[in-house]
Amino acid sequence: MRLRLERRPQPSALMVYASPLIAVALTALIALAVFAAAGHEPWSALVIFVTAPVADLYGVGELLIKAAPLVLIGVGLAVGFRANVWNIGAEGQLALGVISGGFLALHFGVGGSPVLLPAMVLAGAVSGALWAAIPALLRTRFNANEILVSLMLNYVAGLWLTYLVFGPWRDPAGFNFPQSAPLAPAALFPILLEDTRLNISVLFALVAVATGWVFMARSFVGFQLRVTGLAEDAARYAGFSTARAVWIGMLAGGCTAGIAGVGEIAGPLGQIFPTASPGYGYAAIIVAFVGRLHPLGILLAGLLMSFLYLAGDSAQMTLGLSSAVAGLFQGTMLFLLLAIDVFVHYRVRGTPAVVPAPAARPVATPVAAEAAT
Amino acid sequence: MSISRRSFIKTAAAGSLAVPAFVRGAEAADEVLKVGVIHQGAIADTGWEYFQAQAWRSLEKTFPGKVKVTVLENIRENQDAERLFRQLSTQGHRLCFGTTFSHFASLKKLAPTLKRTHFECCAGIEASDNLGVFEARHYEGTYLTGIAAGRMTKSNILGWVGAFPVPQVIYSLNAFMLGARSVNPNATLRIVWVNAWVDPGKEKDGVAALVAQGADVISGSPNTPVQGLAAEEKGVWAIGSTGDFSAYVKKAQLTSFELDWSAAHIEAAKAVMENKWKPTTRWRGLGPGGFVKMTTSSPELPANVAAEMKKAEADIVSGKLKPFAGPIKDQNGAQKVAAGATLTDDQLKGINWLVEGVQGKLPSAS
Amino acid sequence: MIDMAAGILVATVVAGTPMVYAALGELVTERSGVLNLGVEGMMLCGAVSGFMASTLTGSLWLGVVAGMLAGAVLAFLFGVLAISFKANQVAVGLALAIFGTGLSSFIGKKYVGQTVVLEPSALSAALGKLPLVGGLLGQVHPLVWLSWVLLGAIWWFLYRTHAGLVLRAVGESPRSAYALGYKVVRIRYLATLFGGAMAGVGGAYISLVYTALWTEGLVAGRGWIAVGLVVFATWRPGRCLLGAYLFGGVTTAQLFAQGAGARVPTELMSALPYPATIMVLVLISRDARLIRLNVPASLGKPFHAES
Repeated sequence: MRLRLERRPQPSALMVYASPLIAVALTALIALAVFAAAGHEPWSALVIFVTAPVADLYGVGELLIKAAPLVLIGVGLAVGFRANVWNIGAEGQLALGVISGGFLALHFGVGGSPVLLPAMVLAGAVSGALWAAIPALLRTRFNANEILVSLMLNYVAGLWLTYLVFGPWRDPAGFNFPQSAPLAPAALFPILLEDTRLNISVLFALVAVATGWVFMARSFVGFQLRVTGLAEDAARYAGFSTARAVWIGMLAGGCTAGIAGVGEIAGPLGQIFPTASPGYGYAAIIVAFVGRLHPLGILLAGLLMSFLYLAGDSAQMTLGLSSAVAGLFQGTMLFLLLAIDVFVHYRVRGTPAVVPAPAARPVATPVAAEAAT
Repeated sequence: MSISRRSFIKTAAAGSLAVPAFVRGAEAADEVLKVGVIHQGAIADTGWEYFQAQAWRSLEKTFPGKVKVTVLENIRENQDAERLFRQLSTQGHRLCFGTTFSHFASLKKLAPTLKRTHFECCAGIEASDNLGVFEARHYEGTYLTGIAAGRMTKSNILGWVGAFPVPQVIYSLNAFMLGARSVNPNATLRIVWVNAWVDPGKEKDGVAALVAQGADVISGSPNTPVQGLAAEEKGVWAIGSTGDFSAYVKKAQLTSFELDWSAAHIEAAKAVMENKWKPTTRWRGLGPGGFVKMTTSSPELPANVAAEMKKAEADIVSGKLKPFAGPIKDQNGAQKVAAGATLTDDQLKGINWLVEGVQGKLPSAS
Repeated sequence: MIDMAAGILVATVVAGTPMVYAALGELVTERSGVLNLGVEGMMLCGAVSGFMASTLTGSLWLGVVAGMLAGAVLAFLFGVLAISFKANQVAVGLALAIFGTGLSSFIGKKYVGQTVVLEPSALSAALGKLPLVGGLLGQVHPLVWLSWVLLGAIWWFLYRTHAGLVLRAVGESPRSAYALGYKVVRIRYLATLFGGAMAGVGGAYISLVYTALWTEGLVAGRGWIAVGLVVFATWRPGRCLLGAYLFGGVTTAQLFAQGAGARVPTELMSALPYPATIMVLVLISRDARLIRLNVPASLGKPFHAES
């Protein structure tokens, strides 16, 4: 008997909640094996792995501050993904946020104006949106695939940032190292919790989650986007414009990515480096998927992803694990999640041994098949 | 995810009680000095990270049983390094080493707030509150290798694969040129900037580009054997300026020097153990207790050249020979150091001009 | 001057070869309708496997084979998720890139910074004696001109064989192909595995021939460039070669120009291939007819046999 995947009549509610748990449990099993192989007592090692990064308030602050850009960008991207608009350019849009926010910070930071921070955030949002507008325009006007255009633009943005940090923005007191001057205090996000690095970017993330949820679940435009994503022809028939979906989808992602970029330099970095983003733009795509494109799910997925980063680093310290193990756990967890998520929409069925070979069907079948879909 | 954050933290609090028992194990508290080290890259068999690792390994060798080193590798992002230094501190590491210039800014911020830990930063600029720094006078090593290069070049064109135009690289290549010209006034130096500390592909192409210009002795800041191997392929000499790669580059390595940070590590650890630690700036080159150690030379290096290098080394250590003693002109012919004077430490730390004979520009936004 | 030009040409070809392999492999994969963004991960695993195998056996070709296998294994993982489980190809590809990077670092831990010294190729030496082309051929490794052979083979396969036609049909309209009795899933798997194997060869070339060492981040983004290359080449093999040398050659050419004393704005030159790719994409996408002629219509969409 052969197994095959059969589409469920409707998504399985059980699997929607169970699949991340299953994936986490499986990853934990793999982790136990890795710890045992490294010579630790597996269970206590797992406890340490899980608790050490957040064992104190500072750790919790770090968890939140690392999750904030992931959640923020993820929510923006999910708006587009729901509508089948694939913005892969978040990394570049984040860089644009760094560039525009950085420009303001470096040129006006010393003045110490209270308008500076809001201006930086606004600049980040607008510049990120503009960068995302390029693939949106090319898709709506010329039908160019936005995945590839936005991907290519990541490199351009990255090189632009590199040029700035190596050149005009190089810190005169920095001994020619490729970094900018430290940002003036007026250009830094205020800290929310003393003794931690937790700053207001977490508020931005929460606002994004709330806005995203209201927008997608409650607004008519959100409804249009979802329908466009699920059944494009039906949507067009109902008068929902695909072009508008593309624009909204791309700009939402660009906007949030730009703000996240400002958050990085005005936050834990406090300075501009060519590598201002440790791959948050790409990680956020995964976070969006793991969170099932739902703002609340993305919130949890962002925390999980952030936790994996922290736990991996911390495990080097507390468990003597190699640095590569963290990356391996992340990748494995992602694969497992994507694999198990399939069972939300599909179930496994056995097929009887004898199946009429498709080639034996009469020639008229292609027409029938086309008519049936 | 059905675990709420509150229950997460509760578990974490309970778990953190379990942590000390596991981590501290059987060590008697306070007798063993816990040392923390963060590497930006991966520890390899050669290159910058290798020498950093050798330094903390020397701690374990010099103080057997009294020192326990916790090592973190591949911490590439500055945000992460700051968090981890703090975590090392709260985990009871009383001495922590940063291993690269990028750690300096974070440590400068962090050190005054974490008084129970003393911090040292390699390649930092200057000592500050609770933070010591140490850096090597690379230029003393490159000056000596310059002598070898100047003698052995037939085309009078030397090549330098430049990583970043930072002062440490600039004064190194300047000294290389000065050393070469001290024995061969016709030597010139071409530079190619690859804008990376480690990028094997670009480094190899950089060597090819220099050789295409006629360079027959290649130097740089190699962290892997790639530059040496590329030079060997092209049939020219290579100089190991941050390590001895002769195990890989069997024929083409002319001479080399290594970085030895163990003196800094051992002195710092000893001071912390005796409760006498103070933030200091250590900038040392050749000689005992120094950070630059000349290593093997190729058997094809003529004995008289080797002797020249040895004599120059002795003179540098004794102070008789100062690599940057005037008169020195820059690329454009302007006199930068008058006869009888020499560049001060501060001038060296901020140097941003190239000496006469160097062909190639600093890629700054001029 | 001629010498310099020849030098730049050789260096460009050498630098572009890993991308020729990876892009040609990805081209075949995409022609079947599958978008695999995980090329970077597959190249890295190919690089580390090839390096390990060669270090252990002393043979370059065993290393290349190991690289192929590693790439194919990762591609298989991708296939299971994206083709059989019908998960979103973009997400799975990204996860593959992350996973492949982590896996390669993990298994390559012991070999970081080590170098492998292999015998200079006797074949290259022999070819170097040929008149005219000997000058170029002798300086490059057999894997370089094998990539040209691969190009020819793929062109022949795609445009002159029945199997190639079927592959292209699967990419254009999997539904019709299925109805005609072709096993769409199997064909896509094979195309994906081939893409992975070629990415593995590209990676092995970097770690064994180009730099002859293993270190983390060795591939340095070339896998991502290969994905863009396929678009730049409008999914045609011949243009893949040109694009690979263009993308690969830009950095190399810059270094040579620097060495000769020219002031080049490095970031600008490095950035040029990307807007160029975008422009090409726009040009072929504007006309719906051109699109149908160029972009595999089902690219990125999972195939449901029974719906």
